[in-house]
Amino acid sequence: MSGAVALAARALRVERRARNAHFVLEVDELSLRSGEALAVLGPNGAGKSTLLRALAGLEAPVAGHVDCAAPGAVTLVFQRPAAFAGSVLHNVGAALLGRGLSAAERRHRSREALKRFGVAQLAERRASTLSGGELRRLALARAFVLEPSVLLLDEPFDALDAAGQAALSLDLRRAIEETGVAVAVVTHDLRRAMLLADRVAVLLEGRLAQLGTREEVLEKPRDPDVARVVGMANLVRGRVVARESVTLARVEVGAAQQLPCTTDLPVGSEVWVGIRPEHLKIDVGRGEVDPVGKAVVAHVVSDGVASSVTLEWAGVQVQTHLLAGRGLARSLAPGETVSLSVNPDHVHAMPTGS
Amino acid sequence: MTEIGVAEIALITARTLAVCGMALGVALLIGLPLGIALGRRNFKGSRALVALVNSGMGAPPVVVGLAVALLLWRSGPLGALGLMYSPSAMVLAQILIALPLVVGITLAAVGALDEDWELQVRTLGVPRRWRWWLLLREIRLGLLAAVIAALGGILSEVGAVMMVGGNLEGETRVLTTSILMYTQMGDFESALGLAAVLLGLMLLLAGLLTALQQSGRR
Repeated sequence: MSGAVALAARALRVERRARNAHFVLEVDELSLRSGEALAVLGPNGAGKSTLLRALAGLEAPVAGHVDCAAPGAVTLVFQRPAAFAGSVLHNVGAALLGRGLSAAERRHRSREALKRFGVAQLAERRASTLSGGELRRLALARAFVLEPSVLLLDEPFDALDAAGQAALSLDLRRAIEETGVAVAVVTHDLRRAMLLADRVAVLLEGRLAQLGTREEVLEKPRDPDVARVVGMANLVRGRVVARESVTLARVEVGAAQQLPCTTDLPVGSEVWVGIRPEHLKIDVGRGEVDPVGKAVVAHVVSDGVASSVTLEWAGVQVQTHLLAGRGLARSLAPGETVSLSVNPDHVHAMPTGS
Repeated sequence: MTEIGVAEIALITARTLAVCGMALGVALLIGLPLGIALGRRNFKGSRALVALVNSGMGAPPVVVGLAVALLLWRSGPLGALGLMYSPSAMVLAQILIALPLVVGITLAAVGALDEDWELQVRTLGVPRRWRWWLLLREIRLGLLAAVIAALGGILSEVGAVMMVGGNLEGETRVLTTSILMYTQMGDFESALGLAAVLLGLMLLLAGLLTALQQSGRR
């Protein structure tokens, strides 16, 4: 549940000069609301960490400003959190230094914060002996002990295994709900971002390419560049060839293959057609999905959890995902011919040249 | 031959500790902030300063003594102060010997911290005074190494203090200069007694500092 705006950046421009590069980050408007997590996605070098540092006040903007509802209550957890010399308890308590609290009070609050992230039993351990996952939890406890109104997380799931990521995301989600903190998570990994995100911002080459709810951005990316970042792996050039209703049209892609598409673009529009792999179904669907022709299996790659199937369809290559080791995923073989189907709502047309 | 008495040894030892302690204290007062500043920031001239510090760490003490002597000599720029052959001159020479060691080792300890260590502390909103405390705590092993190196350097040094102190009885005679003097006089018993005290002192101080260092090891 999202609440009041806790932090807002307006007309922000940050410049960074490296030895032979000049990087500019420009964000017209971006706000973080209490109790809400915003995932900031983008490829390496898009400016994600720069944005986070600017929001934290560590990068001075050359133009624009960052307004915080409760100044001084913004904290940033770095990708590689520092383990200060001393115990885990000292590490958390260090954040409370200079706030007029007694040592006993600092210890009490630190223990409570460690409890929140399930690492209270490590309180007396030297911080330098912690594993990567434990250190991450220590850093989160150190951030939450400050009772921040805004928490900025730089790649919080980095170097954690799948189970560690899931457990940490659950703890974080609970902490967000209990404290009402506004969170921004920066990551280059879509699946990790989705563990937390209510809204998604996509950064490309230093500009905010799209901002919206996770459904909006994942299902309706503004352009092919955003589509690639949010995992819309099937992207082909096409054209709107017929209109069936106000919202439903037919688009033609590849070698004269037509498929239904929910779009209001006029007939004749040149478009990029995007379909998320999970929405492209193998075998003829029943009811809600429409068959869109035959495809030939090119190859199947499985990591034991999911199988990624690449298909030759209408002269283009497309991908779909299946659960590994079950049903089709076990029997599909390269060269096999299958039927493909997709719900028109999941066929997304983006005008070219925009 | 004159054998030295216990009271005289005690006086010389006390003077040695006073001169070295004073020099170490001043070297730490100047060297710590300078080492931290050089380790944390790149500013105009910082590279030249680091190079100067590095060469200073290996500078022969006797050359340092010569420089101080030239400075304090009656006709020298600071000759009017009348400090030549005084404990103050010895302290000044020892400061110049200890300072590069303190600065050099401190800046190496600070440089070994993660690049964004300070940013991480800043984002926690820790006030400046406490940031300094956290930083000193973080580099305390390096700081102890700096103290051990500086103390070892000035406690065992003889050339510079001889040159600017003059080994005057009751005034500037310290353990190293008196060992030198008794050896030259052929009074090996006194020289050996003083050498044993000097060695014992060094072992005691190094042992204490090492114990402190080990207890602080993470």
